[in-house]
Amino acid sequence: MNSQYYEFFCPVKVIAGHAALEHIPYELTGLGGSRPMIITDSRVRQAGLLSPLLTACQEGGLEVVTIYDEVPPDSSTAVVRDIARVYREQDCNAILAVGGGSSIDTGKAVNILVSEGGEDLTQYSGAGILQKPLRPFVVIPTTAGTGSEVTSVAVITDEHKEVKLPFTSSFLLPDAAVIDPRMTLTLPPMITAATGMDALTHAIEAITGLGSNPLSNAYATAAIRMISQHLIAVMDHPRNTEGRLALAQAATMAGIAFSNSMVGLVHSLGHATGAICHLPHGLCMSLYLPYVLEYNLDRIRGPLGELLLPLEGAEVYATTRANERAEASIRAIRKLRDQLHERCDLPRTLHETGRVRRDQLDDIARLALDDGSILFNPREVTLNDTQAILQRAWT
Amino acid sequence: MPHQRLPLRFRLRRLYVTVMFAVMGRALQALSEVDRQSRREITALPHGFVFELTVMPDGPGLAVEHTGNGHLVYHRQPAGPVDLSIRFKHISHAFRVVAFQEKTAVSFASERMVVDGNIAFAVRLTRVINRMETFILPRALAKRAVKEYPSDLPITEKATTAARIYLRILTHPAGTPRTQ
Ligand SMILES: [Fe+2]
Repeated sequence: MNSQYYEFFCPVKVIAGHAALEHIPYELTGLGGSRPMIITDSRVRQAGLLSPLLTACQEGGLEVVTIYDEVPPDSSTAVVRDIARVYREQDCNAILAVGGGSSIDTGKAVNILVSEGGEDLTQYSGAGILQKPLRPFVVIPTTAGTGSEVTSVAVITDEHKEVKLPFTSSFLLPDAAVIDPRMTLTLPPMITAATGMDALTHAIEAITGLGSNPLSNAYATAAIRMISQHLIAVMDHPRNTEGRLALAQAATMAGIAFSNSMVGLVHSLGHATGAICHLPHGLCMSLYLPYVLEYNLDRIRGPLGELLLPLEGAEVYATTRANERAEASIRAIRKLRDQLHERCDLPRTLHETGRVRRDQLDDIARLALDDGSILFNPREVTLNDTQAILQRAWT
Repeated sequence: MPHQRLPLRFRLRRLYVTVMFAVMGRALQALSEVDRQSRREITALPHGFVFELTVMPDGPGLAVEHTGNGHLVYHRQPAGPVDLSIRFKHISHAFRVVAFQEKTAVSFASERMVVDGNIAFAVRLTRVINRMETFILPRALAKRAVKEYPSDLPITEKATTAARIYLRILTHPAGTPRTQ
């Protein structure tokens, strides 16, 4: 369309590769962060992921003032307030968030409180409330998937009302994202598979959604190629450093893509399923991706067909007729799901999860219609549509 | 108003957007009175919920208030605090949408507008606005306004509902569209 308009923004410095952690003292000092606080969760601590980071800081002459390692999977305003209190008591002046989506979102929210002052996080909820840059903030993702290290959003549960509060501002973006293969080397197979599928979904929905644009598409296509080439290899050889680094970079690239073009119906259904059945987000993505692509097929045939190249490589792409490539892309995604199922029992249907009851499908179908990402889906989704997709995803 | 010094073309464009917003606001109120499906969507909004669709920095715009049981009441300007606002970043973006040069969904997806408030409610109101457009616009225009023209909307339902909405827009005493 010649009247296309889009915006693309990603001011996060990406520090990636071998010994990336060792660059943190230099980066943080350059930002004026001489007294960092680490915000992380118990899984990260138990997996021993902090020790290379602490050593790197110590060797680089950077004193880590304090460590908060009890971020829960669903972080709340109470947790954020507690962490902010420790930050102030210890006179910190920078934040290092280490972990998955929850630790990173908590880091963003703590940064709001310690920069803007006060105890009440709720007053900053919404879009565009923040007006100025926050404290130096560096993120170290440990689950190659969510892409939170490059998004301007944080979601925190309100401790009183049990609702999820969204915070949106470009000032929430970290100053730097550090991608070091050591941080994802010990990720268990199931989480590796699920977060890999989450990243793949980010990239595919970014390209096939209404917000798709040339810059996002470039990042998304590259992410799809890297995931297709490395995900199964990493499942077979978990300590494959090259593969782990590729998956982590792919997740960040997919994050850059979807934070600029948004996601669609796979995420609407996934958010609803997560809320009702408490299934992990990445697993939900894997469950719905092929069915939603089939549902959208007529609207996305062109871009989806082109994805056959990064999904399956030049040979398959060249030998598949142009008008059959979109279906072949969906087959490639199904094949990937089968391969993951063989290796770690990643469920492929709602029934296989064993955690979804058939009588919950209607609630999921209705809740999905309230999800913001549905606005970016290429087709106008009705209740009949979500119900039909859930039926197909059941077995 | 600084707009008065703009060339005539731009003043007319502003006037067109102003009139279209007024029509849309009244049509939303009328739709909530005649269409049960829309009322079902709107009922989920809190009583007294105010939604505003406007243009940065100072209008034109429209506001509707949920007065209970799925009924919306149109205001030219919100009287009190707004719960959900969707603001076009510039009058030219709003014009593209109300002149059916760009679908509302595409305008939103390409960040020509800013949403502030509960997204779930924004999604609902978007569906209601789409439904309003499918009713009051001729099919060819509606197809350019909404993502997907409903395949299951009987032509008789469209015609009778449209007639009832237009009747209400024309007979409502809620004042005339604001002009510069
Ligand atoms: Fe996701």
